Amino acid sequence: MVRLLRKYFPFLLIIIAGLSVVWAVNLGTLAPAEFVFNNGTEVKTIDPAKATGVPEGRVINALYEGLLRSVPDGVPDELGRTPTKPKPVAMADSYEVSEDGTIYTFHIRENAKWSNGDSVTAEDFAWSWMRFLHPETASEYNYQLFYVKNGSKFALVDLDEGDPVEIEMKDRPVTGQMFPRGTVRRGKLVSLIRPAPDREHAGDDSHGHGGGGVSGPTIFIVEFQQGEESSTAAFTIQDINDTEIQTLVSSYQGEYDLTELLSVEHVLFDFQHVGIKANSSNEFEVTLNSPTPYFPELVAFYPLHPVHRASLEAHGDREFSKPGKIVSNGPFLLKERRIRDRLRLVKNDTYWNAGNVHLNSVDVLAIQSETTSLNMYLNGQLDWDTKPPNTLIPLLKERDDFVSTPFLACYFYRVNTSKPPLDNPLVRKALNMAIDKQTIVDSVVKGGQVPARSFVPPGMNGYQSAYCGQYDVEEAKRLLATAGYPNGQGLPAIEILYNTADSHRDIAEVIQQDWKKNLGVDVTLRNLEWGTFLDTLRVGDYMVSRSGWIGDYADPNTFLDMFVTDGPNNQTKWSNAFYDQGIEKAKYESDPSKRMAIFREMEQTLMDEQPIIPIYFYVSLNMVNTRVNGFTANLQDVHPLHLLSIDSEGSED
Amino acid sequence: MQVLTFLLKRFGWMIVTVWIVFTVSFFLMRQIPGGPLNGERVLSEAVRARLEARYNLDAPISEQYLTHLWNTVQLDFGPSFKMQDFTVNEVLAQGFPVSAALGILGMVFAISIGMTSGVVSAVRRNSAYDYSFMLLATLGIAIPNFVLAALLIVIFVFNLQMFPAAGWGDVSQIILPAFCLGAPFAGYIARLTRTGMLEVLGNDYIRTAYAKGLSPRTVVLKHGLRGALLPVVSYLGPAIAGILTGSLVLERIFVIPGMGSHFIEAAIQRDYTLAMGALLTYTVLLFAMNTLVDLAYSIIDPRVRLE
Repeated sequence: MVRLLRKYFPFLLIIIAGLSVVWAVNLGTLAPAEFVFNNGTEVKTIDPAKATGVPEGRVINALYEGLLRSVPDGVPDELGRTPTKPKPVAMADSYEVSEDGTIYTFHIRENAKWSNGDSVTAEDFAWSWMRFLHPETASEYNYQLFYVKNGSKFALVDLDEGDPVEIEMKDRPVTGQMFPRGTVRRGKLVSLIRPAPDREHAGDDSHGHGGGGVSGPTIFIVEFQQGEESSTAAFTIQDINDTEIQTLVSSYQGEYDLTELLSVEHVLFDFQHVGIKANSSNEFEVTLNSPTPYFPELVAFYPLHPVHRASLEAHGDREFSKPGKIVSNGPFLLKERRIRDRLRLVKNDTYWNAGNVHLNSVDVLAIQSETTSLNMYLNGQLDWDTKPPNTLIPLLKERDDFVSTPFLACYFYRVNTSKPPLDNPLVRKALNMAIDKQTIVDSVVKGGQVPARSFVPPGMNGYQSAYCGQYDVEEAKRLLATAGYPNGQGLPAIEILYNTADSHRDIAEVIQQDWKKNLGVDVTLRNLEWGTFLDTLRVGDYMVSRSGWIGDYADPNTFLDMFVTDGPNNQTKWSNAFYDQGIEKAKYESDPSKRMAIFREMEQTLMDEQPIIPIYFYVSLNMVNTRVNGFTANLQDVHPLHLLSIDSEGSED
Repeated sequence: MQVLTFLLKRFGWMIVTVWIVFTVSFFLMRQIPGGPLNGERVLSEAVRARLEARYNLDAPISEQYLTHLWNTVQLDFGPSFKMQDFTVNEVLAQGFPVSAALGILGMVFAISIGMTSGVVSAVRRNSAYDYSFMLLATLGIAIPNFVLAALLIVIFVFNLQMFPAAGWGDVSQIILPAFCLGAPFAGYIARLTRTGMLEVLGNDYIRTAYAKGLSPRTVVLKHGLRGALLPVVSYLGPAIAGILTGSLVLERIFVIPGMGSHFIEAAIQRDYTLAMGALLTYTVLLFAMNTLVDLAYSIIDPRVRLE
C-alpha cells in the first residue's frame, strides 16, 4: 500500500493540486453590480435599532424607510450645497404638528408595502419604536426618542411609585430570543423595596439587568385592577434564590406579602403610557415632552426605521437580517452578503416609489484601505469612492469627478479641564489663539477644509455660529500672562494625545510648534492605537486630545448637547450649570429664532470657556464617476442611493 | 497501525496546544486597554451595562474564562462583537475558504515556478539561466510581499491594464494576490530544488542511469527529481505556515475577505470572540498541515519512520 502510494505520489499530488486550483478559482465568483461604491468599512449591523455610524446609515437607508426621509431639496447655497430636509416622501405621505408643537400625527401612505407584500402600518412603527427603546435592545441611539413623552422612563427603567408598569413574565416562547415577548401584565407600581442605601457595595453588583434607573436587588409591589377588585403581587427581576433578594425578603417589615415573590423578565414603565401610539392602521401619533423643532430630522434618521415584526419574531434578533430572511420596506433589497467584502442590493419592486428608483443592483464594498479604494476607482471598478486618501487630495481636487464641500463635521481638540494648568480657562483660550489654523488647513490637510472659529459648523438653517477668536499671538501671550505664566514660565509640559494616523500626527506637530514658538510651552506628543485611544479618552487620562464629531442632523443641538455635565461624549470633565440649563431650556423653546439665540449664547459660553479647541471643519470628499447622475453635494454628505442613476451614454475617462 | 498511533499522539498534543493558546490569548486580550464596547461615540452607562450583560462581560473573569472555554469545546465561538449580524462561526465559515483558495493558488504558484526554475538551474548549472533564476529567487525572498504587491499593481493594473486593482469575485482578481503571496516561497523552493537536484545528480545511480542509455529527460525527471523532492516537501510545513500568516497584509491590500482580514480587524477592534476563533483556527490548521507534511514525507522517503 505504502509502496504503491510512494510510486504514484507525485501524480497524486499533481491531481490534488489541479482539483484544488479548479475549486479555488471558482470560489465566490460574482459579477459586479450596476453601481459599485466603497462604503469604507464592514457595517456593524443592518438592524436599524442597533446600528450607529455613517456606513451603516447608507445601507439601512437603502434597505429600510422611515416615516420621513432626509433628501436634498432646495436651492444650493453659495458653496454649492443643496440643503437637506426631512420630507414626507417616505412611508408617511403627510404629517401634522399640533399648535403647541408637541403632537405629531403621521399619515402612512396607502401603498406602503413590506417586501413580502404586507402593508406597512402604524402598528409596525409603534412596535419598532418600542423595540428601539426597550432596555434589552440597548440601542446606542435610544436618547433620540427621549424627547417623546415618557420615552426615557421606559428606556432607562426609571420607575417611581405610582407609575403604570408592564411586567413581562419568564415565559418567552423561544428561549434566548427577546421577541416574541413573554406574557405581559399591566398594573400600577405601589411600592419599591430596596436595601437600605448605606450598603456600600450595593451598586457594584448589577448582574443581568443592571444599569438604568433600577439596579441592585429590588422588589416591585404592583397593584392590578380587575373590575372593582384590586390585588397586589410582588415581583423581582433577580433570581429568587439570589442571596441579596433572600436577605431583602427576610429583613422586610412592611405591609406587603412577599411569600409569593415571583421572578420575572422585566418590570418596565408601561409602554401604553409612552407617547407613541397607532391611532389606526395608517395614523401614527407621537407626543413629545416639549416642542422639538428638529424632531422631523430625528424621525428621518435611520435608527427609527421600522423592522418587520413577524420575520423578526420568527427568526430572532440576529437571523432576521440575513439575505433570504430579511423583509424590508426600502427602495432596495438585500440579495447577498459577503462578510468584509460586499452587500449586494437589488431594486425592490414592492417599494411605493419603485418607478423612480433607477439602479437595478448596487454593490456596497467594505474596503478599508484608502489607497486600494482609490486604485479601484481609478481602474473603473468603483463608481463612488467615499474616502480618497488625504495625501492625494491636492491632486484629485483638480479633477471634475471630485465632489467636495464643507459639511456638518468638526475636527477639534478636547482639553481635559481637570488637569492643571488646563483647569484655567485663560490657559485654554491662550492655547486656542496660539494655533495658526489657516496654516494647518493650507499646508497640512490641504483638502479645502475651513479653519474653525466655532464648534458648530456654519451653514445650519437660521443659526449664526459663535466665535472663539482669530489667530492672535499677542492676545494669547497676554492671556497666558494673566493666568500667571508670563512667556510660558512655570507652565508644565502639555501632552497632545492622538490616535495613530499620519494626518493626526502632522497636525499635532504643527500645533506643538505653534505652542512652543508662540507661548513657550513645551509640548509632548503621544499616539495610541485606536482601541486604546478610546479607552484613554473615556477614563480621562489625557491633557489635550484629538477628536472629531459629525452632526447627526442639521441642528446645533447635535453638537452642543455633547458638553452638558457628565454627558457620555463630554469627556473633558467640563461642567457649567449655566450651559446645562441653557441646553435644557432650548428643548422647550418653540420659537425657532429664540431657540437659535439660546444655542448661540450657549456656544459662545463653550467658546469662552474653551474645554474644546476647534481646529477645522471637515469637507466631504467623494470621487464620483461622471456617468452617475443625481449626486448632489450637501450639508450632511448624504447621498441616498435611490436618487442616483447611471447615464448609460456617459463615458468613463 | 503505526500511522494511527502517530495521528492519535499528534491529536493529543494538538489539544494541549490549543488549550494553552486559548488560555494565554484569553488573558492577554483582556490585558490590552480598550474593549469591544468602546467606540467613537461613548455609550451611556445604562446601555453599556446592558451590552456587558448581553456578552457576559460583567461576570468575573474566571467565570468568563470557563464559559468561553466550555463553549469553545463545543465548537461554539459565540457572537461576533463587532459584526452583530453574525456569529464567529459564520464569519470563519465564510472567511476560511477564501483564504484557503488564495493559499492554494499561492502554493501552486510557488511550487510550480520554484521547482521548474530549480531544476533548470541545476541542470544548466552556471549558465545564464541559472544566474538569472537564482537572482530572481533571491529578490523574491528579499522583497516583502506588500512591496511586491505595490510594484505589480503599478505594472499590471495601471500600465498594462491586465488585471483589476483589487476585489473578490472573479478569477482575474485572485491572480496578483496569489502571485505576491507565493513569490517568496517560490524563491526558497527554487533554491532548495537546485541544491537537492545538484546533490542527487552527482550520485552513482544517476551515472548508472545515463550509462544505461536513458534520455536526459527521463533521468532528470524520473530519477533526479524524486530525490530532490525531499527537502522541498519538508519545507512545505513552514511554507504553509508562512502562506497562512503572509496573507494578512495582502488580503487587506487586495480586499480579499479572508481569515487574515477578519483576524486583523478583530484584533484592532477588540472583537474578543472573533480574534479567539481566528487564532484557534490558525493553530489547528498549522498543526494539521504539519502532520500532513510529516505523513507525506514518510510516504515518499522510505528512510523516514513515523514516531
